[in-house]
Amino acid sequence: MIEIQDLKKIYGERTVLSIPSLRFENGSSTVLAGANGSGKTTLIKILAGTLKATDGNLTLPQKTRYLPQQSYAFRGNLIKNITLAGADENTALHLLETMELAHLKEKKASSLSGGELQRLALCRVLAQKCDLLLLDEPTSACDAKGTEIVLNAVKAYRAENDCTLIMSTHSPLLATAGGERLIILGDGEIAADGEPKEVLTHPESDWAKSFITGWKI
Amino acid sequence: MGLPPVVAGLFVYVLFTHYGPFGSLNLLFTVNVMVIAQVLLITPIVVALTSSFIEGSSKPVIETAEGLGFSKFKTAALCISEGRASLFSVVLTAFGRSIAEVGAVSIVGGNIQWKTRVMTTAIMLETNKGNFSFALALGIILLLIAFIVNAVASLAVKEPKHD
Repeated sequence: MIEIQDLKKIYGERTVLSIPSLRFENGSSTVLAGANGSGKTTLIKILAGTLKATDGNLTLPQKTRYLPQQSYAFRGNLIKNITLAGADENTALHLLETMELAHLKEKKASSLSGGELQRLALCRVLAQKCDLLLLDEPTSACDAKGTEIVLNAVKAYRAENDCTLIMSTHSPLLATAGGERLIILGDGEIAADGEPKEVLTHPESDWAKSFITGWKI
Repeated sequence: MGLPPVVAGLFVYVLFTHYGPFGSLNLLFTVNVMVIAQVLLITPIVVALTSSFIEGSSKPVIETAEGLGFSKFKTAALCISEGRASLFSVVLTAFGRSIAEVGAVSIVGGNIQWKTRVMTTAIMLETNKGNFSFALALGIILLLIAFIVNAVASLAVKEPKHD
């Protein structure tokens, strides 16, 4: 189980994240949604260990894998980018096929479009087994088809690996279908938390209401 | 980085002169002390440029590598591999700075023929003597060396085309 107690992240006089208590059951899938600056990336980075919290206690599993918001292309072609993460060539090829990138396998990774690079970066993360999978806006550069490909790939990964998934997004599609739980963050605090259908139809706070209205679902 | 080369040369001279703390090593007016003076001049440049590179362009590499659970050693190796072009340019900047050095190497080396005379001090000497053609020839050779080194280094860091 992942447990968060009195988590705070403060920059100077500004509190960008304040979560008194939050739990994620093993094997669960959660989507974090919220406007820019609501604290989604801050929370994910703290869970990934790449950012230190100002205060609070965290209980985390042993093996965490994290996909940053900004995708990076290593030198070399697509196959090499994935084998760098520890996968063999067959696994790399299988992942590229899942992400519908196999036809570009010999291309330089630096020549990919934004959405293609994002899917490649996800291939690297999915090449490894883990207990906690953290994805920071994995479809921000993807079109509708790309988003669906990512969603299906993550679902297939979770079917084979019993891991906990926490994913942040701006996409209404991922918010509704990306997980069993939807948390909306507002000004660094939890504005809504529950099953996606319940949160989207009966948001708990005014903040969550105004955010969901912006999606026009 | 803004250390005047002549002052660096003077500082090393004072250290290695007969009455200086390292005078007993008898290194003054040798190639060895010229190397020491160059190291004193070049190190701040290399450190500053490398630090700037690491702070800037290594961030996405480090973040991605940490996300994939790479060890610190593997992350460092990846940063060097990914940033080899930038690191090479740091090395080339240091190389360019050192082969162009005149002041510090003159002071500590003495510009002694067949011993501590280097191309830059020779150019200075021949120009002062009025042997412009000789000085010019040396300058052209020095330029060619610098050009070849730059060209070879650029080819070495270039990523092969795959498309």
